[in-house]
Amino acid sequence: MTIHIVEDDPGVSDALALLLASVGHETATYPDAESFFEETPPGERDTVIVDLGLPGLTGIQLIRWVKGLKNQPKVIAISGQSSRAIDSLLDGDTPDVLLRKPLQEEALLQHL
Amino acid sequence: MREDYSESLSTDASVSKARLHSVLDTAVDGIVVMDDRARIILYNKACERLFGYSAEEVRGRNVKILMPEDYAERHDGYVRHYLDTGERRIIGIGREVRARHRDGTEFPIELSVGEAHTPEGRQFIGIMRDIRARKAVERRLAQAQAQLVNMTRINALDEMGAAIAHELNQPLTAIMLYLQAIKRKAAGIAGLDDTFASVIDKTVKEAERASQIIQRMRQFVEKRDPERKPVDVPQLLKECLELVSLGDISQEIQLSLDVEDGLPMLHADPVQIQQVVVNLMRNAMEAVKCAPFRAVKVSASKTDTHLVIAVRDSGPGVPPELVPGLFKPFSGSKRRGLGLGLAISKSLAQNHGGDLVVEPGGSEGGAVFQLKLPLLSTGEAPPAERADTN
Ligand SMILES: Nc1ncnc2c1ncn2[C@@H]1O[C@H](COP(=O)(O)OP(=O)(O)OP(=O)(O)O)[C@@H](O)[C@H]1O
Ligand SMILES: [Mg+2]
Repeated sequence: MTIHIVEDDPGVSDALALLLASVGHETATYPDAESFFEETPPGERDTVIVDLGLPGLTGIQLIRWVKGLKNQPKVIAISGQSSRAIDSLLDGDTPDVLLRKPLQEEALLQHL
Repeated sequence: MREDYSESLSTDASVSKARLHSVLDTAVDGIVVMDDRARIILYNKACERLFGYSAEEVRGRNVKILMPEDYAERHDGYVRHYLDTGERRIIGIGREVRARHRDGTEFPIELSVGEAHTPEGRQFIGIMRDIRARKAVERRLAQAQAQLVNMTRINALDEMGAAIAHELNQPLTAIMLYLQAIKRKAAGIAGLDDTFASVIDKTVKEAERASQIIQRMRQFVEKRDPERKPVDVPQLLKECLELVSLGDISQEIQLSLDVEDGLPMLHADPVQIQQVVVNLMRNAMEAVKCAPFRAVKVSASKTDTHLVIAVRDSGPGVPPELVPGLFKPFSGSKRRGLGLGLAISKSLAQNHGGDLVVEPGGSEGGAVFQLKLPLLSTGEAPPAERADTN
């Protein structure tokens, strides 16, 4: 049961990992989608937290890829962009959960 | 040759003096000549118009009479300083100074000063141009510019606001998560100093406040389309009251709700409507803070076509100078407010095909804000996508 954090902002990524670790989760962080793909695919009981505005391969592409897996982990998308920008980014695809930054602890933990 | 020349000068002295005077008097600029003791020797026609004194009145008097008091006090010092040291502060430089009319009014002039060595001693020539007209143009220009800045500021808020919200969200998110993590850690340590936990709590609160400001800016920038569903207005208003009374810890404000019987269901976005009502109530509660009697009353009623939610308070009313721009962004008078509340609220009301209007109140009562939302006529099916009627 690992929480994979794919987030390019090092502060957000580190803070998320620290908080999740402090409530007892195992975490792995990746600065971009590419480095996430290099690792073993996540399992059904894992969770992937992905920032929508990643450099290079986008968060959406990552979500699509994950949604094509046989054993799908839960996907939580996070974004600091406007809802309009998010809508056009998502273009019909839907993550299991979409949270907007700034993230609140309760909002996040209730989905884990 | 040289002798001839000087001779012709001296014989024509009176002619040239007359010519000089006519030149001086046709000059548009004010021209004053003074001696080394600052006494006026010459004062042209333009000066008479500029200062209101005639040449006879001022001849022989100190030039200080043409200056406002603060300059006049220092003028002797300036002259002495120059005569002693030769150090130039204004001679050959020219600058903008204030002058004083006979009637006491001050006005801006551009002053250039030259110096001449004459048989009668050193003399100083001042040439003065009235720059009131130029100043007025400059002022109008500055005003127009400020207006333009204000307008573009509001337009730019759309783009800037979104960009800033996004950029600030990253570090804010990190800060809040870090704080929450350390708070959890701290809770597990027995015997930790209380101030430790309370400082973390306060810091979390401040970070949350910053994030609320961003979220409010975002709401304003985004103006999302309403997600309409049937809304039970009395229930919604009750929730609003509960929500705002949480913020009024001292419970010193009397909050009341008065809902007409038999109101129909409203077809609206409940989150947005609640946002508007809460905004209005917050404003009302802030307005009554210093009033002797503190009450805020929310009521709901209907007309043939509209449902009307009114928020009235016992405060001093909206200051008249704020009324014209009240619903524009940044109109607020509060130190801490963004001045966005009413602008957001009005645009949300209009998104619903309704409107938000104010009776500013004043002498005998507080302000009343009315949120008017269109009702569906009976039998009409809720339209999937209703075009705004406003
Ligand atoms: N009920 C009221 N009585 C008197 N003045 C009011 C009332 N409501 C609003 N105002 C005045 O109108 C101004 C604008 O209100 P608005 O809600 O737009 O901004 P704000 O309250 O200053 O800031 P915020 O963006 O935090 O809401 C207020 O600053 C206040 O001076
Ligand atoms: Mg307000």
